[in-house]
Amino acid sequence: MTPATRHPWLIVLNQAPVVLFLAVLALFGARSAQFLQPDNLVNILIQSSSTAMVAIGMTFVLLTAGVDLSVGSMMFVGAALAGKLALQGYPLLLSILAMILAGLLGGALNALFVTRLRIAPFIVTLATLYLGRGLGLWITQTRAMNLPESFLHLGAGRWLGIPIPLVILGTVLLIAHIVLQHTPFGRQIYATGQDIETARKAGLRTGRILASVYIVSGACAALGGLISLTQLGAVSPTFGAQKEFAAIAAAVLGGTSLFGGRGRVFPGTLLGAVLIQTVENGLVILNADPYLYPLVTSAIIFVAVSLDCLRQRLVERLSRRLIRPV
Amino acid sequence: MKSMTWSLLASLLMLGVGAGCQRSARQAEGAPLTIGVAFETLQTEFWVASIEAFRAEAKARGITLLEAIADGDANRQLEQIKNFISRRVDGIIAVPKDAQTIIPMIRAAHQAQIPMVLYNRPPDPSDAPSITVVADNYSLTKATVSYMAEQALQTGELHPAMILIGDLGDINAIGRRDGFEDAIRPHTNLIQVVSRIPTEWNLEKAQAGVVNALQAHPGIRFIFTSSDFLLPAIVSALKSTGRYHKIGQPGHIILGGFDGDATAYRMLEEGYLDATGVQDVQFEVVSSIQAILDSRAGKPVAAVIKDPGFVIHQGNLKEMASRMWGAGIARQRRP
Repeated sequence: MTPATRHPWLIVLNQAPVVLFLAVLALFGARSAQFLQPDNLVNILIQSSSTAMVAIGMTFVLLTAGVDLSVGSMMFVGAALAGKLALQGYPLLLSILAMILAGLLGGALNALFVTRLRIAPFIVTLATLYLGRGLGLWITQTRAMNLPESFLHLGAGRWLGIPIPLVILGTVLLIAHIVLQHTPFGRQIYATGQDIETARKAGLRTGRILASVYIVSGACAALGGLISLTQLGAVSPTFGAQKEFAAIAAAVLGGTSLFGGRGRVFPGTLLGAVLIQTVENGLVILNADPYLYPLVTSAIIFVAVSLDCLRQRLVERLSRRLIRPV
Repeated sequence: MKSMTWSLLASLLMLGVGAGCQRSARQAEGAPLTIGVAFETLQTEFWVASIEAFRAEAKARGITLLEAIADGDANRQLEQIKNFISRRVDGIIAVPKDAQTIIPMIRAAHQAQIPMVLYNRPPDPSDAPSITVVADNYSLTKATVSYMAEQALQTGELHPAMILIGDLGDINAIGRRDGFEDAIRPHTNLIQVVSRIPTEWNLEKAQAGVVNALQAHPGIRFIFTSSDFLLPAIVSALKSTGRYHKIGQPGHIILGGFDGDATAYRMLEEGYLDATGVQDVQFEVVSSIQAILDSRAGKPVAAVIKDPGFVIHQGNLKEMASRMWGAGIARQRRP
């Protein structure tokens, strides 16, 4: 630890997501005893799992200073495809595989345009957002699809006493954390996000790295869609709509920088996703005025981003070299 | 240079006169009319059923229909309507993105002397004249929730209640919320609203909200959703807590909705849904086209044509199902 990173304010600001999360828990817990009941806390975790899953993929992309706006549409296409297959009598496993394949293909399409044609990720994924939504509407014919009970059973199931959505999330989270923090590939993602030119000059195959993160994001979007399907048991034409914003918000709340090179899926992104759901849950429990929901959620995102900005400025100030000795 | 400018102006003038002459000639000869239909989105069954009804009605009347979908983008809708105006259509029917952004579009159509009808969504008050065909969201919800309240009052027991509110920026969602609150108000001794969930018309948000509310208030016995398309969210939440029971069975939660879609019809048939307020798609579509024709003929047309809709419930299901737009879709889907 360098003297700069030992600065007390920096230590506090580095833990901003945790501090914010604990503050929200304390605030709602003080207003309602029901809020901190174990059942409710598990409920919050289950409800966060879909957004958290999509946000894990989004973190990979944000770490390379990119963005993936198509995740909600990828969820929709995958869900529409899975729903169509399930309603035609195909086995549940095949529907799930088709869903994941759709996510992988969507991610690969983004990767192709970003790396081969060098189009800005924002533009590419905006285009695939519309493409995916159109494709999903075409598959569903804008009709709501009520899926077989097997989807709901999957969502309500448990493995070793742990709800299935949390098992899926936990597995992916563990893999993502290990990949990012303990493998050369993870370090290459951070290096690419910090300075792509330097990374390229250092011999990293940045094209492959960028392509991989969009494919990971597509796969995570599909899995997030799967978790949602097991909760809802239905696909509506608005399925996955605006999920990209929730995923970006979760990653940023968890301390991931929009400029790349900084962030962690655990605890960062997970905490961010849980924080958003915790706020919604707390407001419902308190029967808050519906107009307050967007105000409170945006205030929390604003506080988190401001804290991140403060942290960044403090790091810059502490690492500034003195030109003249005092 | 000067002569070139004059030639250009003359050409434009001739084009304009030509278009005007074409239009008057078409009117005089009784040639088929062209109506531009600009939908904000097709992302719910209601809008799909509506556009299909427009196609059928236009075909029956020998009208050519031009269609444009804005995919939720108000600017795109403005361009689409300008395009209709430049093509000199005989009338425009629009489902606006919201109550404010449509006002410049109404002004543009008015300046071009093209009658414009707003379908199912009214504009904010302004000096821009238009005709709106809209369901009476407030009254229809009030009637639906009053029916549900009657069912609750018959038991003489306390009914904690929940409402799923739509997008708070949607005037129809607000009308439905107000109708719900006013229907409940006289019965607060037995029906108490313990949870108001803002869904932003999002199924996942609705599902999370219902689960949260059931966690906080396990005694909830009365649920109203501002749109039937959110019913799957309620059903899945009730199933996951083992509280999805048919009418008449112990533990049944009184359920009601608004729209009259295929899911609502199926749930009514199966005996899970108590009532829903049905928007009369056929009435709204016929009234919209008729309003354009009447306007063009110089006949007086009301600024707001209200679709009274109707409440469908277990007591009148058989006789009213034929007028419920979702019933047709549900029957088509059956193997």
